[in-house]
Amino acid sequence: MERDLSFLIPELLLSSAAMLMIVAEMMRAARLALVIGLVGLAAATLLTLPMLHADTTVFSGTYRIDLISGWAKLILLPGTALALLMVRAEIAGQDREGSVYALICLVTLGALMLAGGGDIMVLVLGVVLTGLGSFALVAFPRDDAATEAAMKYLVFGAVTGSVMIYGLTFWFGGVGSTLFSELGALDGKPLIPTAGLVAVIIGLGYKAALVPFHFWAPDAYDGAPVSIAAYLSVITKLAAIFAFTQVLRDLPTSSGWPLVIAVISAVTMTYGYLTALVQTNLVRLIAYCSIAQSGYFMLGIVALGASSLAVPGLIVLGAAYAAMNLGAFAVVMISGRSLDDMRGFGRKRPVMGVAMVSFLLSLIGIPPLFGFVGKVYLFTAAIEAGFVWLAVIGILNSVLALGVYLRIIVPMYQPAQDIDESSEKSPHPALVAVIGITALVTLGVGFLAGFLPA
Amino acid sequence: MPLLTLATFLPILGGLALIALPNRSARVAHGMSIAVTGVVFMLTLVIWSRGTVAGGFAQIEELAWIPAIGAAYRLGLDGLSLPLVLLTSLLFFLSAIYSARISDRAPSYVVLMLMLETAALGTFMALDGLLFYVFFEVSLVGMYFMIAGWGYEDRQRAALMFFIYTLLGSLPLLLAIIGLYLSSGTFDMRVWIDMPPLTGIAAMLALIAMLFTFAVKIPAFPVHTWLPAAHVQAPTAGSVILAGVMLKFGTYGLVRFALQMTPEAFAQAGQVILAVGVVSALYGAFAALAQSDLKKMIAYTSINHMGYVVMGVAVAALTVDLRIRTIALDGATLQMVSHGLVTGALFFLLGMLQDRAHSRDMSEFGGLLGRVPWLGWSFILMAFASLGLPGLAHFPAEFQVFLATLNTAPWAIIAILAIVVTAGLYLRAIAAVFLGSENEKWLEMRDLDRREKLVIVPLLILTVLVGVAPSWLINMIHTTMESLSF
Repeated sequence: MERDLSFLIPELLLSSAAMLMIVAEMMRAARLALVIGLVGLAAATLLTLPMLHADTTVFSGTYRIDLISGWAKLILLPGTALALLMVRAEIAGQDREGSVYALICLVTLGALMLAGGGDIMVLVLGVVLTGLGSFALVAFPRDDAATEAAMKYLVFGAVTGSVMIYGLTFWFGGVGSTLFSELGALDGKPLIPTAGLVAVIIGLGYKAALVPFHFWAPDAYDGAPVSIAAYLSVITKLAAIFAFTQVLRDLPTSSGWPLVIAVISAVTMTYGYLTALVQTNLVRLIAYCSIAQSGYFMLGIVALGASSLAVPGLIVLGAAYAAMNLGAFAVVMISGRSLDDMRGFGRKRPVMGVAMVSFLLSLIGIPPLFGFVGKVYLFTAAIEAGFVWLAVIGILNSVLALGVYLRIIVPMYQPAQDIDESSEKSPHPALVAVIGITALVTLGVGFLAGFLPA
Repeated sequence: MPLLTLATFLPILGGLALIALPNRSARVAHGMSIAVTGVVFMLTLVIWSRGTVAGGFAQIEELAWIPAIGAAYRLGLDGLSLPLVLLTSLLFFLSAIYSARISDRAPSYVVLMLMLETAALGTFMALDGLLFYVFFEVSLVGMYFMIAGWGYEDRQRAALMFFIYTLLGSLPLLLAIIGLYLSSGTFDMRVWIDMPPLTGIAAMLALIAMLFTFAVKIPAFPVHTWLPAAHVQAPTAGSVILAGVMLKFGTYGLVRFALQMTPEAFAQAGQVILAVGVVSALYGAFAALAQSDLKKMIAYTSINHMGYVVMGVAVAALTVDLRIRTIALDGATLQMVSHGLVTGALFFLLGMLQDRAHSRDMSEFGGLLGRVPWLGWSFILMAFASLGLPGLAHFPAEFQVFLATLNTAPWAIIAILAIVVTAGLYLRAIAAVFLGSENEKWLEMRDLDRREKLVIVPLLILTVLVGVAPSWLINMIHTTMESLSF
């Protein structure tokens, strides 16, 4: 028991921080809540480091302390801290500010459970915990757009969640255990693996915004405050990706899941970028691009078990994606939500312009940026697993991605038509900090990729 | 002293230092640019003095990078890359001097130029597949911003076309590199060259992927269409770097990757590759003949000249005679260098003409030779060099390529027709711009000033030197080509 709890220190720290934040909010001390959150996240991150090389399970195999959950913490916890800073810059002084911070930490707790779950029940718990908090976060502005988006998100989440739980019972019926590690017993059995697989794809595919379960994403991102959109697009998505990894690496490939995932991956990438090509709202554009990015993550999922580069690739691209997407959203918070707001941005703010260009080029996967390292790992993994066609589709989609992101980059360096006063005010220091940190990670880590897991 | 690393990263470090400087006036920026590229040029001269070795790479610098996947930071040189490294550092140095008049956002311009130099030197010296790809792609981003930011009228469209075209072009190379990696377990290019890991159909697929990438970059017919647009719209120094240095990525890759890493497949496809070279050479010449825009004309002659390089490499793969093979590769490599010198100079001269006249249409000029003798005679000399006149830089290169072609695949010698066509088009251009009756619009035109002469004279001297006494250059290439493993 003590041993088990000692492995859960980061999670325990985070949940205690969330509780304290609720108390702080009750005292109307939103600033205190923010500080508690940041300190808690930092402490949890630091205490994750010693157990990074552990490979064990706690509580009778239901919760995994391994490479994936360790690195997931190292990505999700600092990512959440950056998101908190972004939220602060956007809603400082508003009513219910502290609740947002507390909710975010609780959703991240759910995300950690998804990334470490080794059991059907933990998986369901993670899905519910991340879901409930996210609905409330999207509804935060209380206007029509946000309410509609949250409603859509909730209904979609409720339906997919129920379907998932229903489908997962088949696995329990077939194996007699809720542990993923027992799923090998399904090898060769007909139908039962498929039922559970469909359930997982629907439940987690919804969370990761895979096509065709993505419809909520652009609306939710656009209806929510930009910082919340950034948070959801990074933390809950990555949590779902890591959960996919935990489940599918134990599912026998005889059920044919790699091919199913590969098809979904191809469709998701292509659909995401094609739709992004016609968006004029920056938030929606990035939303569709992040749908496409989910497709790229699936390149690694497909190769689980077949290539030793799959898991490192997922972790590397996960870290890169967190930095790039948070950074890009932070820039959008400064420039404005419309594509037209980008006109002249790079000339007006040269340093931020360079940062934005590196986020976008890194999202495409152009070297030597961080995103390139992740994509090389995943392409290699997919090819090693025999999915050459999928790698080719991924590579062709990079060109589509270039077309999408150039729609932002090109106007950035055109002369601005009119200089309005509102955009002249200097950006919130928290945003500058977020952009600085994410840009450093995006630019610098590409070179230092050797220190990452493999 | 890790001179290769120093030469590669000094430019980008200079760029970063410039960003950090509090005073970023145009003067300081250009001073920095000239100083850094000058030092890098000196460094490459020292690297040259250290020499290469036969049958492998010399001056290797190695450092662990991503050990888990066998990727490392590896730089090195042989007789194929060394001449291109020297050419690169020279052209960047001259471009820095030439660009000193640019005042619009000068610091950004200089940073981009320096980033491009790092990328170009890195591309030629990288001995690691992944590292090569990184440098190869970085150059593309730098050139995109260069064209989009400082180009002429239609720069946005040209830059966009360039970026999308060449990114699409370079992605197949990534697939080929991954394929080579998965079959060998390392990204070390020396291993790929010594023991080509792919065989049979896999090798052929990798070759096709690589050929596509490098054909776009060279550019060879029919994937050349980005070139005229990019060249015409790019700022002068951009055109010089694009033609002088970046087209060589394609021909360098053709030898280093396609020929050396998939030699059997290359020999099987040799006739097809040879045909691509012949068609490019002929097409480039005839298309150039149809242009009245001087910059576009030079751009098309690049396709023609690069066609000869492709022919030389294809002949080297087809022949069984080691002597002929060496002649073909010597010629192809020398052609890369000559083209860099001659076309680089021609683009500089056209830039100088355009600075004065704000036009590059040959029908608008006439009789300029008396008005601007330095500009005129330099252009005439370089035009003669470009059409392959004996005694100037292209002659020894093309002579060797044709000699080897005649010996191995006599049908391909029809490409020699292109020389007649280029002769015609250059004489026409010279007549239209520099001879004939003077156009009174240009009576005020100034001749080259001191800075411009400083840019052109080294190229003039080298063009004559390579033409008259090419042995110092050919010897450097020959040692490697004699023992090139493939």
